[in-house]
Amino acid sequence: MDERAEKEDRELILRMASRDANALDAFYTRYNRVAFSLILRIVGSRQDAEDVLMDAFWQVWQQSGRYDSSRGKPIAWLLTIARTRAIDCIRSNQRRQGRTEEFEADKNPAAGPAEPDSFVMSDTRRAVHEALQTLPEQQKIALEMAYFQGMSHSEIASALGQPLGTVKDRIRNGMLHLRKRLRSYF
Amino acid sequence: MRHEQLTDDLQEQASLYAAGAMTESERKEYARHLEEDQCAVCLSEVNELQSAVSMLAFSAPSRTPSPSVQQRLREQARNMASGKPVRSHSLLRRFWVDFIASSAAIAAIVVAFAVTRANTELRGLIDVLNSRIAQLEVELSQNRTYVATLTSPEVRVVNLAGQGLNVRARGRIFWDQSKKKWLFYVRDLPPLPADKSYQLWFVPVSGNPVSAVVFNTETDGSAEKEIDVPEAVVALKAAAVTTEPAGGLSQPSGPFALLGAL
Repeated sequence: MDERAEKEDRELILRMASRDANALDAFYTRYNRVAFSLILRIVGSRQDAEDVLMDAFWQVWQQSGRYDSSRGKPIAWLLTIARTRAIDCIRSNQRRQGRTEEFEADKNPAAGPAEPDSFVMSDTRRAVHEALQTLPEQQKIALEMAYFQGMSHSEIASALGQPLGTVKDRIRNGMLHLRKRLRSYF
Repeated sequence: MRHEQLTDDLQEQASLYAAGAMTESERKEYARHLEEDQCAVCLSEVNELQSAVSMLAFSAPSRTPSPSVQQRLREQARNMASGKPVRSHSLLRRFWVDFIASSAAIAAIVVAFAVTRANTELRGLIDVLNSRIAQLEVELSQNRTYVATLTSPEVRVVNLAGQGLNVRARGRIFWDQSKKKWLFYVRDLPPLPADKSYQLWFVPVSGNPVSAVVFNTETDGSAEKEIDVPEAVVALKAAAVTTEPAGGLSQPSGPFALLGAL
């Protein structure tokens, strides 16, 4: 993620804190697709994903005055909010519907073809793809179960039939691998 | 408590937190550690790892939301800027979904309760009706007997007239001689107090009167009795009703209330 883009993002956050609605609009235009793609990957339902997307950007707008740049880039902040809200959504749906089966978002990706990204986004997407390809399969599985399905380490251990300590190690090592391979992008 | 340096264990905790892999209780406790303790070591590690793991969003297939989301967001921001109330569309939608689901569940419970209550009431009503049917069947059987008696060519009809103060009273006996039965009907004979009774007598051609039945009338002055005529009673000259002490006597002692010649 280039420095110019990051600088612009921080300025948008500052403007949002001053209640500049155009800044929210610009920030949304910039990152709605990556956030929506993440949310949809998690919740599976387009209707729910759009609701969560709306809530995530609204939370960014509401909390823009409290954004701390030392906590990471605005895009990482947005995606953390989006992921948290998406997980909350599927947990809420599970409570409402009494579902206990594992949520399989990949099997229901919802409508809409993939669309071309900007150059920066394409480059980031390529780097992430390569980082995941070099990630050991067991680490990737544990990370995806935690990140995309909101499962805790004990739930993952139970689902995979693995010792808890093994799962924790895999998550930690997977995270360190991602950080090492993608440091220049965040 | 603030940590002074990053250990493997602290790094593991930061990884689990950043990946969203902690249990709820662990997450709350760790979040408290970050926000209240302001532990710089853990905050720094968490920030980096959260930034790294957020890149996983780029591994999801690229999708575009509908334009309406941006329009709603713009409208919401404009409303907030102008001081208008802001309503979360998603919250409203989920509210209505939950409301409708809850209302449907409540409605189902109410219907089930109403059906159960209705069933209980219906069962009670069925019991009452069955009891009434049984009662009516008994009455029907009696009435069939009465009709058979009344229409039999072997039945004699004896009319009794009111006596003394009971001038308005009247009685009728349908005497089925083959079955040796009297069907006795009384009208407009005032009911007696508890210490007195009316008594119907077979009055033979010869000999003393024989008690047929001791009775009292209903509040409307009516009475109906079915009486077996004893074998010994053969030749009768009259039927009489007298007023006697409660329970009757072996021989008439009181005034006539009704009298009819046979």
